[in-house]
Amino acid sequence: MALRRQSVILGALLAPVTLFLGVFFVLPLLIIAVFSFLTPGLYGGVEWAFYHWNYGRIFGWADGIMEVYEPIYLRILLRSLIFAALTVIVTLILCYPVAFWVSGLPDRWRLVFLFLITLPFFSSLIVRLYAWLLILKPTGLFNTVLMNLGLIGQPLEILYTPTAVVLGMVYVMIPFMFLPLYASVDNLDRAQVEASLDLGANRIQTLVKVILPQTLPGILGGAVIVFIPSVGNFIVPDVLGGAKGLMVGNLVEQQFLSSRNWPFGSALSMIIMAVVLTVLLIAVARARKVGGHA
Amino acid sequence: MNTKVTGLAISVSLLAGAAGAEGSLALYNWGDYINPDVLTAFTKETGIAVTLDTYSSNEEMLAKIQAGATGYDIVFPSVHMNDIMIKLNLLEKTGINAHPDFARIDPTFLRAKEDPASEYCLPYAWGTVGIFYNEDVTGPITGWADFFAVPEKTGAKITLLDDMREVIAIGSIMTGASVNSADPAELQAATDYVLSHKAAISAFTYEVPPLLSSGDIAAGQFFVGGNVFFTETPNIKYIIPAEGGTMYQENICVLASAPNKENARTFMEFYLRPDIAALNVAQQFNGTPNLPANELTPDFIKANPNINVPAETMARLQIFEDIGAALRVYDRAWNTIRTAQ
Repeated sequence: MALRRQSVILGALLAPVTLFLGVFFVLPLLIIAVFSFLTPGLYGGVEWAFYHWNYGRIFGWADGIMEVYEPIYLRILLRSLIFAALTVIVTLILCYPVAFWVSGLPDRWRLVFLFLITLPFFSSLIVRLYAWLLILKPTGLFNTVLMNLGLIGQPLEILYTPTAVVLGMVYVMIPFMFLPLYASVDNLDRAQVEASLDLGANRIQTLVKVILPQTLPGILGGAVIVFIPSVGNFIVPDVLGGAKGLMVGNLVEQQFLSSRNWPFGSALSMIIMAVVLTVLLIAVARARKVGGHA
Repeated sequence: MNTKVTGLAISVSLLAGAAGAEGSLALYNWGDYINPDVLTAFTKETGIAVTLDTYSSNEEMLAKIQAGATGYDIVFPSVHMNDIMIKLNLLEKTGINAHPDFARIDPTFLRAKEDPASEYCLPYAWGTVGIFYNEDVTGPITGWADFFAVPEKTGAKITLLDDMREVIAIGSIMTGASVNSADPAELQAATDYVLSHKAAISAFTYEVPPLLSSGDIAAGQFFVGGNVFFTETPNIKYIIPAEGGTMYQENICVLASAPNKENARTFMEFYLRPDIAALNVAQQFNGTPNLPANELTPDFIKANPNINVPAETMARLQIFEDIGAALRVYDRAWNTIRTAQ
């Protein structure tokens, strides 16, 4: 009796969330999936006729008249994956040591630091990226300082290069990497680290065999949270990449906002989603394995 | 800038005061494409409160209206989008051409093919897309050939717009084709022309005025309206390229779904007044189809042949038309251009 009442209460509590996710997450996702197999309307929108060329022009089959297979889409996808992976690696290298440093701080300073890390969220992403444009451009802050110090004679070419895109993405994603990393580093069992050192393991052995496995859930969590939005990012390549180094997010945006090809944009979105899901599944499988060993 | 801010403040206060009495009007326009003083004057005279939302491309506006966005009364589509929106039954017939003041509109601006007599929309404003350049760095420039030679000659940077049609249009102009060509061979030639200069192009961007002011680039493709930033800098000039350039024209259209059709019509009639059209030009630096308004614009605009364009310059301008399904070929060309190393 009590059990049934509990499950009724649980159902009542879960219903709003389920409804919300159903309407605002699953339904739009279904629309994208369906649209990706429909014929593009001449003036945007879709015509309700099955059409597989949206995928064909990406993966290698096309009628050669209206639709042409071009390998550039796969190249753009690959490029997006590489940029996203680079972003994960750089943010991880930057954040990992800092997470240890912060977790060793006195409580008060720790709170200050955690507040500082979240501070960028208080202003618009676009505004922050334009600030980077001002910093990186040839007459900008970065080049002016280096030239005044006599370190370089000519301004460095950073703005409108792939370097600027990765730099911008790293900047945007640092908080997303830091917070899960910090959580797992803070939970690290320091006694095990001391024991490892006492029992004769050197620092590198301790890092690899004790610290890394214990903080792996944080690393994987941060990596997933950074990787997913990085793959589809289109604002950073637009503003800092000069719209030259196309990423797959730019392609999707272009299909909806200038080329009036909603189904092709939907097909590209589905592929991004498939890639992201694959990454997520691998990460979850790894995390389970690690959890099983512990 | 200060007057702009006070203008906005006044319009907001009028908005609050008048909203109940005379109703409201919701404009959906390109960013920075109407002088706020025009809206203030409209509210002051009619008591109709105006709200303004902005978009950054025709397609963005179309996608929102198609997706069912309601609550907007007036949109400002380019001529080719005006045609598309009539075909899609998204616009309302206003009969603005029957108004006695409509005689002030230069008939060459009745360009919409679906609306040859202006039964739907009122020609709003037009302008050109050309080259802004810093003459101190580049020396004299007359057209596209000079423009693309700047990086090699001076080591300085140049940019093009982040706009598919505008960039491919340069290739079409330089290879002698129409900017609306759907011929695959002509499009290929246009694409190849742009690709052959890809190495010279630093970026595809709309940030031309700030980058040109700071000296980060020496020249860039941009809209004539950019002149508003360079009235005090004689070394920064604007030209319509000798080989040819593009022009744009937007029309004032009332949506079929408009909740305030009466007020929208009142706004169209208000904009037929030469003093109002001239007030807009004075801040926007573009052209107006309102013939008597041209006499009322400030002298420095009237005297600049690159803003107040003479007939022989007009002859080398092309305007974008809707290219229907060929848009897909342009889309592929644009992807190729942007990803080429």
